[in-house]
This record gives sequence, structure tokens and C-alpha cells, in this order.
Amino acid sequence: MSSPFSINGGACVAMVGKDCVAIACDLRLGLQALTVSNNFPKIFQYGDNVFLGLTGLATDLSTVSDLFRYKVNMYRLREERNIAPKTFANLPFICGFDSIGCIDFAADFIVSGTATDQLYGMCESLWEPNLAPEDLFETISQALMSAVDRDALSGWGAYVYIIEKDKVTKRLLKGRQD
Amino acid sequence: MAMFSQNPLMNGPNYSFSDAPKTSAPEGSREHRFDPYTDNGGSTLAIAGADFAIMAGDTRLTSGYSINSRHHPKVFKIGGTTADQHDATIVLSVVGFAADGEALKERLDSICKMYRYRHGKPMSVKACAQRLSTILYQKRFFPYYAYAILGGLDEAGKGAVYSYDPVGSYEREQCRAGGAAASLIMPFLDNQVNFKNQYVPGSGEGHALQERERRPLSRNEVEILVKDAFDGAVERHIEVGDGLQMMVITSNGVEEILLPLKKD
Repeated sequence: MSSPFSINGGACVAMVGKDCVAIACDLRLGLQALTVSNNFPKIFQYGDNVFLGLTGLATDLSTVSDLFRYKVNMYRLREERNIAPKTFANLPFICGFDSIGCIDFAADFIVSGTATDQLYGMCESLWEPNLAPEDLFETISQALMSAVDRDALSGWGAYVYIIEKDKVTKRLLKGRQD
Repeated sequence: MAMFSQNPLMNGPNYSFSDAPKTSAPEGSREHRFDPYTDNGGSTLAIAGADFAIMAGDTRLTSGYSINSRHHPKVFKIGGTTADQHDATIVLSVVGFAADGEALKERLDSICKMYRYRHGKPMSVKACAQRLSTILYQKRFFPYYAYAILGGLDEAGKGAVYSYDPVGSYEREQCRAGGAAASLIMPFLDNQVNFKNQYVPGSGEGHALQERERRPLSRNEVEILVKDAFDGAVERHIEVGDGLQMMVITSNGVEEILLPLKKD
């Protein structure tokens, strides 16, 4: 329980669909068993279609997300263009990182947070290749909601982003408040 | 991170009790210890239907990173008249420490056989469930390290599933996953058996949405769910794999099905 990774709790998941990707997070911020906030999003936007989901120690989420914002802004000023490389802009793409930066390139889904086991179980059984944006939304939402309902440290609602070539849709899911 | 925190003695990445961090003895002193338990991995699953129940478990037996056996069943028929259990009506699944699971099975089976001899009728699942709880609690201070699930048909002929913790707390449920991959399978069951987080489209906004009504699943649907649940667990958990053993309990008796799982 005293591991920095599970003090505040939280869950993130990303999935690949057909010409789209989805990324979702829960909204809980806790101190061990005590819930401090039910409005603590864990997904950060760094470009038109570049999103980063972070889980772990809340103070480090702020630090890391701010550091990325700084680096991305510096990149934009220096290069005079957005960070999203052309290859990535037209190619739906997800990847995961561990806490020391090892990259996990996945063709299907990425999970992180205290509900990792539950998310793997859900994604492995619900996900299928080439889901259309609306189907991908339903799949990632069902996976996240059912997973966080079996993890005491995650939950209290969720945000889901569906990223398509020309648009990004953000939806709020009202989950169980317990 | 608490990756496999099913294990009650530790809360961290672990594969065997012998890997548990040992508190080192002071300089010059000798420490004696007794490690009576091993975690043999594996996973079990039970789902109750309207007029049937399905008990399932993988057949891999591990200790640490080793695979000791690819076919070691953890789902057993209980309380038949003979050793081959051809007329049994109750099924027990055990996961955790295989030796304790086996011992628990033998004990419950002989108690069921004695009951039949004394009363001239087979034990009901309800009675057997209560008796199993008592057996487990009798060893409250040196427990059977086993997560048990008991399945059968109740007095009304409906599917019944009872799940236990190692010291005998029990509850009748619609479905339950146990063992190493319980945390992977259980949310899937909530979603696909009890339709949790599923709502009727357009029936309201936010918390006013109407829940999708539950309906009894057919035997075929449940068999597919069990296979899907285990295929997912095998993919992401190293202690689960090799074979899937399913016991289907109906009014006609118990049917056993063996299916292959990935062996990697």
C-alpha cells in the first residue's frame, strides 16, 4: 500500500480501432482508502491529436505533465510547427511507457494504473481488431468501467477521448460514486 | 506493485511463498522456519444458470516459474456412491495450494458419502455448502490455503454456486472467479453475466439511465463466456494455461468437457 504507484490510485487505458484510437482515464484522486477528489483527470493533450495518459503518484503526474507541456511548447517555438509528426498524424497509434521510460508499442491496447490486472482481463476479452469509432468508444468504456468497479482505488467517473483523423470527441462517463 | 496480491501472506509481486522476503536473523543467531504452503497458481471460474451450473478451471500446476504439470485437474465431482463419481451431483473447485485443495476435496467427499450412508439420500448443495464452511473454519488457525467454489443444483433445480475464502466465509452467487487470474476474470463476469455498466440506450441521462435487464444465460452462451474468460487470462497470466476443464451440472448429472488452452 505504501508504494508510490498505489497511494493515489487511478486507471488509464488506450485502444486502437479502424482509423481511430481511444484513450480513457478514471477521475478518482485518493489518499490510500480515503477519496480526496472525484474530478482528477489523468489524460493530458499536447497537440491536435497527441494525448498522454498518466497514472501513479499524483504529485509526479503534475510534474511530468507540466514538464511535457514545457518541452512541447519549446519544441513548437523552435521548430515552428506542431509536435505531431506527419507519420503519426495520419496513423492512429498508441504506446505505453513504464516509469523509467521503456516503451511498449502495442497494436491493440495499453493499460496502466492500480486496475492494471482488471483492465488486462477486460481488454483481452472485449477488444477486437478494426473497431469503428462508435464501437471503439463502447468497448473502451465498458472495459474501463467494469475494471475500475473491481478496484477500490480507481473509479468515480471517467473521461473518454475518441481520436479520429479530423476530429477528437471527449465524453464524460458518470460511473459509480463508491 | 501488487501484481498478484491474491496471496494473503504478501502484497507484492510473488510466485511462491518460498520467495517471500525473509526477515534476516540477528548476527550470531540461527533462525528456524517452517514453510508449509506453496502457491500452485491456476484459476477457477463458476457460473450458475437457470437449470444448470458450470464449474471450470485450468489444468496447469506451477510452483514459482516452473510448470510441474500440464494436466492436474482442480475441479472435482463430490459425493457420488463410488470412487469414479459417476452419479455425483455436486462439484468442487479448489485453487491455491494444490495439496490442501486435494485434502479438502477428499474430506468433503468422504463426509458426503457418510451422509448418504446414514440418511439414505444424497446431500443437498445447500447442506454441503454449509458443511464445507465448517470444515474450513475448523482449521481457522492453520488454514487450508485454498479458494474453494462449490456448484450444483438447489432444491428447486436452479443452478447454485457458493464461493469461499480460505477460512470458510461463504456466499451464494451467480458467478465467481477464483485464483491467480481472478482479478482479470471477475470484472468480465460482472459485465457479461450480470450486465453491469450496461444501460438501455436513450433511457435517460447520466445516473438516470435504466439498467439493462438481467436474463438467464443459456448453457451454450455460458460455455462460450467461460472459454473467452480463460483465453483472456491465459494471454496475460503466466500461471494459467495448458487445458480447460469444465463440469456442466444439469438434472441429468455432471458432464465433463476438456478443451485445450495455450501451452506457452
